[in-house]
Amino acid sequence: MKGSGVVVPSPAGRRAGTPPRLPVPRSPLPRLALLFLVVLAVAVADVVAGRAVTPAGVWEVLLGGGDALDRHVVLNLRVPRMLVALVAGACLAVAGLLLQSALRNPLAGPEVTGVTPGAVLGAVVATGFGLADRQSPLAVVIAACLGGLFGAGLLWVLTGRRRDDPTETAVHGVLVSAVLGGLTAMVLLVAPGELGSVVQWLIGTTDGRVWQHWNLLWPWALCWGIAAWLLAGPLTLLRCGEEQAAEAGLDTGRARGAALLCAVALAAGAVSTVGALGFVGLLVPHLALALFGADLRITVPGAALAGAAVVGGADALAQVGGRALAVLWDADRLTLPVGALTTALGAALLLVVVRRSPTRDF
Amino acid sequence: MSPRVRPGRPGRPGRKARGAAAVVVTALILGAGVAALCLGTPVVPPTELLGPLTGGGDDPRVAVVVGQLRLPRVVLALLAGACLGAAGLVLQEALRNPLAVPEMLGVSAGAALGVAVPLVLSLSLPALLVPSLALVGAALGGGLTLVAAGFGRSPSAVLLTGAAVTAALQAALLVVMVMADQLSLQIIYRYLLGSLSARTWEHVGGVWPWLVLAVPALVLCAPVLSVLRLGDDDASALGVRVHRARLAALGVVVVLIAPVVAVCGPVAWVGFLAPQIARRLDPTGHAVRWLPWSIAWGAAIVLVADLPARLALAPVETPVGAWTALVGVPVGVLLLRSGRRSGRRSARSAAHPDGHPTSVPAPRIPVGPVPGTGKGKS
Repeated sequence: MKGSGVVVPSPAGRRAGTPPRLPVPRSPLPRLALLFLVVLAVAVADVVAGRAVTPAGVWEVLLGGGDALDRHVVLNLRVPRMLVALVAGACLAVAGLLLQSALRNPLAGPEVTGVTPGAVLGAVVATGFGLADRQSPLAVVIAACLGGLFGAGLLWVLTGRRRDDPTETAVHGVLVSAVLGGLTAMVLLVAPGELGSVVQWLIGTTDGRVWQHWNLLWPWALCWGIAAWLLAGPLTLLRCGEEQAAEAGLDTGRARGAALLCAVALAAGAVSTVGALGFVGLLVPHLALALFGADLRITVPGAALAGAAVVGGADALAQVGGRALAVLWDADRLTLPVGALTTALGAALLLVVVRRSPTRDF
Repeated sequence: MSPRVRPGRPGRPGRKARGAAAVVVTALILGAGVAALCLGTPVVPPTELLGPLTGGGDDPRVAVVVGQLRLPRVVLALLAGACLGAAGLVLQEALRNPLAVPEMLGVSAGAALGVAVPLVLSLSLPALLVPSLALVGAALGGGLTLVAAGFGRSPSAVLLTGAAVTAALQAALLVVMVMADQLSLQIIYRYLLGSLSARTWEHVGGVWPWLVLAVPALVLCAPVLSVLRLGDDDASALGVRVHRARLAALGVVVVLIAPVVAVCGPVAWVGFLAPQIARRLDPTGHAVRWLPWSIAWGAAIVLVADLPARLALAPVETPVGAWTALVGVPVGVLLLRSGRRSGRRSARSAAHPDGHPTSVPAPRIPVGPVPGTGKGKS
């Protein structure tokens, strides 16, 4: 276990005879900038998509004109919705990346480790028993956070000593998620009157998110996002392995605990605002790792941008698709929740993965 | 129930444990059945059950309550539990994965969609068609999984495809749920948890005809299952056409659970728990020996869980699926943990001299997509 060359990569000696060729580190800035442009484009698309106001009308409003109704729709409904979608996506992606790195488990998304179901349970319990409502959104966030910690803690206790095995953790995570889902169902049965307002957490949707939600979400996301970025260095070490990180002088237990807390807080903030968006926290970190490599100091912001782009794009698509469906079926109340779209995208991706590697034993 | 059956010794202790298990499961089914017939409002003492059951009795109201409300519910619970238990065992054996649950084939999600769509869109359908829509949805979900998985090429492909199809159907369900009003939401939610409340002989009639189709198929495919467990290569070396056998087994599973899910909703975790218990009680057995046990335990679980579902919060009924999930998952985790420990011990004791265990390698469950498995460990 000694000196396996973690801190200084040494590709020398792989093939005798060839001179050691140190890889030239490419600057990640162009890629980050490109992704940022994508996020901007997605943001514009998200504001332009949607019914009632034409793109030209949106442009007019943004220039300061437009009539009162258009101004209200764009400035008080669409812009906060877009911002909430972007930040929630970023939160979920970073949370997933932190979880996957801290547990050294490529399958550990917030959905699989009991964090998202726990957060939903917390929010549902707080609302169902009258501890929180629309007037006190902070209570919902805190309840969701506690619930997420409860779910993660349950998994921690259940996996016991064998939590190094990724599949073991994932298997128990699925079971924990099922238990938490059952508990949520029980709460809904005890307080059926709240069902309508509670379903919004079960379905991930950005419909009707206004400045109030945004004002709650961004400070939370900013604090924990900065914390996540500060943790990126230790986590990069932790990804190399427990012993290596300890040898490099890292208190692995504390680093992992801090990362888990940070991940739970980020996921809970996103869940309490937009609900459980399927597959984002599981898949986007893989996308970010593929784009930016394993150095988390760059990948954490990259994952945030990628998550924002994915959820914002899905939101824009959902609005366009919802409009198309409404025209198609002549049903005015038809809307496409963004959670349904991300889930469908994740399912499609899953099918592609299965088809591409038919005989591989996962 | 003695969980500490020593592996590698198929002699008397196993038989004794099986005998005890038979007594326990029979007592459970009989006791829960009598309790389900007696308890409630009005309480009928067990001594007076015979009158209403045979159609007579002093009070015609009691006869109606027992004969038309409680008895079909008991029968339906037994049928549903038996079907789910059998389906769970077939699925776990055919896919070689202890966590392959019937819910993962896309059948439940399809049935839920079939229930939700006409309810929310308030389509005007003849009343006769509504239950069959759930059945159509269930069959579509299961069929979609089988087709997309390339007709059962490999176990993990089937499981992953099932997860994907389930997720996609759930996304469609979400779209429907967003449009639903409070009342339809409650109905959908109740259905999604699996409930036996207000089921009558009519519903029983929706399940049992399918058994005529499923039972002979089950009997035919059970012996192949124990060969499939050896792994694809060994099974085909023994002369089994693996893909066709797996496809047949999955088809049997769909036929078994689609009517149950259409009538009762997806009662969670029965198909996971019953085979686990059956296996734990007879660790040296094989699929054919486990099948009756799995059926019996499935029936017992649903019947027992229906008691608190009906009575715990009376007069409000709770869905039976909530109880099976709440109680079943912790029990299942315990079973899995202790089962794996004893399994590892037996593997070690039965290892070859060169250290290779002779047992089948523990199957692993894929959970979610793994596009970059290697990247997790930089």
